[in-house]
Amino acid sequence: MRSLLMGDQGCVLYGAAEFSRDTDVVVLSDDDNLDRLGSAVGELRADVIAVPPFEKRHLEAGHSVHFRCHAAGVEGMRLDVMARIRGLPGFDPLWERRSTIETDDGPIDVLALPDLVTAKKTQLDKDWPMIARLLEADYAACGPQADSVRLAFWLQELRTPSLLIEVARSGAHAAQAESAARPLLTHALAGDANALATALRVEEDREREADRKYWDPLRAELEELRCARRG
Amino acid sequence: MEAREEAREIDWRLLVGDEWAEWYAMTPAERLEASSKLWQTYLQLGGSLDPEPDSQSPFYSEEERRAFAPHGRSGLRVVRRGGV
Repeated sequence: MRSLLMGDQGCVLYGAAEFSRDTDVVVLSDDDNLDRLGSAVGELRADVIAVPPFEKRHLEAGHSVHFRCHAAGVEGMRLDVMARIRGLPGFDPLWERRSTIETDDGPIDVLALPDLVTAKKTQLDKDWPMIARLLEADYAACGPQADSVRLAFWLQELRTPSLLIEVARSGAHAAQAESAARPLLTHALAGDANALATALRVEEDREREADRKYWDPLRAELEELRCARRG
Repeated sequence: MEAREEAREIDWRLLVGDEWAEWYAMTPAERLEASSKLWQTYLQLGGSLDPEPDSQSPFYSEEERRAFAPHGRSGLRVVRRGGV
């Protein structure tokens, strides 16, 4: 089955979270892969615990299907499955740029870090500190020296004012170039931490509002499905 | 690659605290192992696998939260609270 770990467990692997109570995956939603997913959830003795039901059309509309497992060893564990994520392309490009983490239990395919950062730009309070930590952990792992691609990624996504100022200071040319796409970098270049923090908050609010608008019609569909289930 | 000014070393303990600095310094496999241990401890303490109720979530439904709580409880409960 082609799937990529995302959500808080993905954040655990990248260093932004210590613990997660569920498993979130994004899957390829073609018929063969969904058949394999159906077999996998069968082995886990997982049932759907909320709307929508496990159907291709709901996954392709952008919904998340929520399972709870009952097989021995995984009792009570929750599995959330999506096929589309706001701000991200379809599954194939996500698969091409995935990270694979080697573990004692075998490899784990995870959303690439930039994709996980995009996926975390939601309306939820809890996701924003996690984005900051994803970037901090990446910076900590790479050290101050980075190639131009990674430097551009940090300049576009860092959310910790002191780090953003440091990265802009040490890569001023790149920061000036990237400021066309992220104007708040002018505050980082000026070393103005207060203005930068304010601009980061405005940027966050804009993303949260975009996420709310994205989910408005999906929320309405979920409510209709709940009404239909109640009869 | 573009010539960059010397970037300063970050004191991660100062920036994010000891716990997070240690977490950042781990490899993904080490984090997975450490997280698994936290998981076991959490379950031994009676922690629930239900999501934290979050009314901001597009998936949140009070009706479903009640209906599908696996053990009819929502998670760790405070049975005795000390003074502040």
